[in-house]
Amino acid sequence: MSSIARYVRSHLQLISPLAFVGLWAAVAAAQIFPSQVFVPPSDVLSALREVHDSGELRLHLASSAQHLVTGFASGAALGLAFGVLLAVIPALRSYLWPMFNAVRQVPSIAFIPILILLIGINDLLKIIVVGKATFFPVALATFDAVKGIPRGYLEVARIYQLPPATVLTRIMVPATIPPVMTGLRLGLGKAWGVLVAAELFASEAGLGQMMESGRQLFRIDVVMVGVILIGLIGFTLDRGFSTLQRRFVRWQ
Amino acid sequence: MAAMTKASHWLRPFYVPVLLVLAWDVLSRVNDSFRYAFVPVREISTGLQEILISGQLFENLLASLQTTCVGLAIGTVLGLLVGSIMGVSRIADDIISPLFNAWRPVPTLGFVPLIALWFGSGDLSKLVIVVLAAFEPVVLNTYEGLRASDDKYREVGDVFRLNRRQLFFSVQLPSAVPMIVTGVLHALGFAWIATIGCELLFTVGPGLGGLMEHAQMAGRMDIIILCVVSIGLAGLAMNTAVEWLARRLLRWRHA
Repeated sequence: MSSIARYVRSHLQLISPLAFVGLWAAVAAAQIFPSQVFVPPSDVLSALREVHDSGELRLHLASSAQHLVTGFASGAALGLAFGVLLAVIPALRSYLWPMFNAVRQVPSIAFIPILILLIGINDLLKIIVVGKATFFPVALATFDAVKGIPRGYLEVARIYQLPPATVLTRIMVPATIPPVMTGLRLGLGKAWGVLVAAELFASEAGLGQMMESGRQLFRIDVVMVGVILIGLIGFTLDRGFSTLQRRFVRWQ
Repeated sequence: MAAMTKASHWLRPFYVPVLLVLAWDVLSRVNDSFRYAFVPVREISTGLQEILISGQLFENLLASLQTTCVGLAIGTVLGLLVGSIMGVSRIADDIISPLFNAWRPVPTLGFVPLIALWFGSGDLSKLVIVVLAAFEPVVLNTYEGLRASDDKYREVGDVFRLNRRQLFFSVQLPSAVPMIVTGVLHALGFAWIATIGCELLFTVGPGLGGLMEHAQMAGRMDIIILCVVSIGLAGLAMNTAVEWLARRLLRWRHA
């Protein structure tokens, strides 16, 4: 193998995305498709600069972030509480579990039309939908985690007559953190996806709304800026959470 | 006495839903604007009769199921192809992985505005979105399944002097089947959500999402609720059917 071929082979993971953008630019430059429909990468960059300089982007980002954080935090808190309660009190389970499973079957976005009629199109709508998307995976993971605490741990605690507070902080919490973190990570991904969908569907602000108005104005460059940004945010959220997760597991 | 305890045990799952329905009914009686949002339970059953008799429910349900199944089928085939290529060839893996990983974190419905501009807001766009939704988990699981099988079984293949094609079809692929089946099950869930999401966003053409969106604009809460229930039940039914099919297909593993 020549040295060039070897170099290409060992750097394929870097060359491939660059080649993709190059191909994109080449096809756009060749004008095979109308340039309004197949926009060149340079247009996407200038559209990014445009929405950034006009301050529009910051407003949309702030709106999305605010709804994501509020919805995720409330959904996660409720999910944690619900999961623990159901795991600890078996009687409660027989009352609530079937209902929980039934509601879980329905995609979060399907609740949007109901909510629009009940509360209208507003911030609360997005927070509830994001909260719903977060609640179920977190509740499920928490329930499984608490149920999955090895019996031996609790028996040892009983033999040593540890106080309940110690049992909670030294046994229950450490034993449940890894699976609960996985549930939170899953919930965060779902929350972001459903927030974008809700913003596309009914919203006055947010990245999804920016894309939707880009669609209505036939600004494919703006829409593509939106696609790239929601992907980057999705990636960052997931990567950030998995870093956090590794930290916790190592500490354990 | 024992029989009574048993009966009350059996009834437990129904207490909460019944209470919720009662609360709903009370709220519907507060005043006219409450009555508009919390439609009286009686009206929901009238609404059910209405969309059952007119065939609306059935027609839209069928359209949604069709979009999901066609999208799932195409997405699965494409996903198997791409996942297999990535799983077998390191070079293809190095080329495709960066692009696949850049595309993956974008929420599927986030592609709707782009796809709508490129393919119009019709059935084709819906199908493209559903295919994208189904494609991802199949690629991922096919790839992981093939990679996991690599070391253990490859040596057996070497012993039998299998060529690359034989190795793939009679050793690697069968060992990846359980993972692939899991991927297809995930794909089904994603495809169903994507179908409903697209129908809500596009509103053109038949589908439960579209029916729901029209009902929302007409202020028909009864029909929306019936749609939500149908969406949940249909999703559950499809999942059960595919799981059953998967168990049957995988029976040879336990024999």
